[in-house]
Amino acid sequence: MNRLPNDFCVFILTHGRPDGVQTVKSLKRHGYTGPIRFIVDNEDKTLDRYRQNFGADRVIVFDKKAEADACDEGNNFDERRTITMARNACFGIAEKLGITYFLELDDDYSEFKFRFDKSLSRRWIILDLDDVICAFLDFYKSIPAKSLAFSQGGDHIGGFCGVTKLKRKCMNSFFCSTERPFRFVGAMNEDVNTYATLGSRGDLFFTFTSVQLDQAETQSQGGGITDMYKRFGTYCKAFTTVMMMPSAVRVSMMQSNNPRIHHTIDWGRAVPRIVPERCRRV
Amino acid sequence: MNKQTLLFADCAAESEQKYSKKIEAPVYEPRHDKPHLMTLCDQSKVKALIREIDASGLPEDEKVFLRAAAWRHAVFHYERAADYYAHATPEMQRLMEKSALVIIDFDAAIERGFVKLCDEIGRQFMEEYNTNEPLA
Repeated sequence: MNRLPNDFCVFILTHGRPDGVQTVKSLKRHGYTGPIRFIVDNEDKTLDRYRQNFGADRVIVFDKKAEADACDEGNNFDERRTITMARNACFGIAEKLGITYFLELDDDYSEFKFRFDKSLSRRWIILDLDDVICAFLDFYKSIPAKSLAFSQGGDHIGGFCGVTKLKRKCMNSFFCSTERPFRFVGAMNEDVNTYATLGSRGDLFFTFTSVQLDQAETQSQGGGITDMYKRFGTYCKAFTTVMMMPSAVRVSMMQSNNPRIHHTIDWGRAVPRIVPERCRRV
Repeated sequence: MNKQTLLFADCAAESEQKYSKKIEAPVYEPRHDKPHLMTLCDQSKVKALIREIDASGLPEDEKVFLRAAAWRHAVFHYERAADYYAHATPEMQRLMEKSALVIIDFDAAIERGFVKLCDEIGRQFMEEYNTNEPLA
């Protein structure tokens, strides 16, 4: 059994759901024993309830307007019900707390699973999440990546191919370090905008496919960013990334249980290839 | 074509049926052939946009801005760039690296780290499901 390092913390980014933070229960159920901080913005009307539920010392409040002003939102909707500001605030919060490594999580995760084959049953649930996080941290520390993520169900659409991969993307969960800061861009689709644009310039973002987190279906839960997607539609969401990377991203339909407009990335055009050092001539 | 490697040997037969041992290396193996430089970047949309900008009646400062923006539509073929890199001179290679047209896996840190992570996660899976009861 591995011990979590002292300079690590889980940040749960949450808004308006003080009584519905599924992730904290899931983390404990899956054996996570490390520290947790709740990242809440100063415009959240339920802030007191968060403090009441989780303890004032564990609820970290950031200035949402200040973060929004420092961020390229990719639109002029004047709408701040989005996670981008919280994601960016985490780096400064970690520094203030003296934390080097942190894992950004959303507030609606139900399960963390091993994903090695096509069938997904409860038998694949991770029992010791500390061990998994330690393994991820070891890998993260050993490579020059900006961030590392667990996979999501969407990464296996079309069927799990039976091969563990390291995808060049990061969504939803982000292992980060104050020593490798980066800025999320775009009020909508901020994860895709970020790994696509920064990835095209040589920054590395990875998703490890054999560990998967499950969450409530996007656009089906009330509160937070979901309301923004309902208001503006997923076309605006997907098109934000097209604006930022027109050479490699287009808008298309995602065929799933919940068919909707989505982005499609042509990876051959999006990010440079990683090549072995032996190809390098001196 | 990325190579695949067998991993997680010597597992119990029942558990072995439950998960795949295959991994796909994140490192690209450049091909033997050197592609033509012209095939690394498709500028057709850029040129079409610039033709339209040039033919417009806009003031020159706006044209300058639009011409710069048109290059956002240049399509880089990164596999071909990596193939070209493998055959390029050291000077060309350094500049390709600086421009992030390829990423070098120094000391095979990414490839080895990935194999180690797969190994570790596979070990945890085996430990948890050979010795522990699943969650209710």
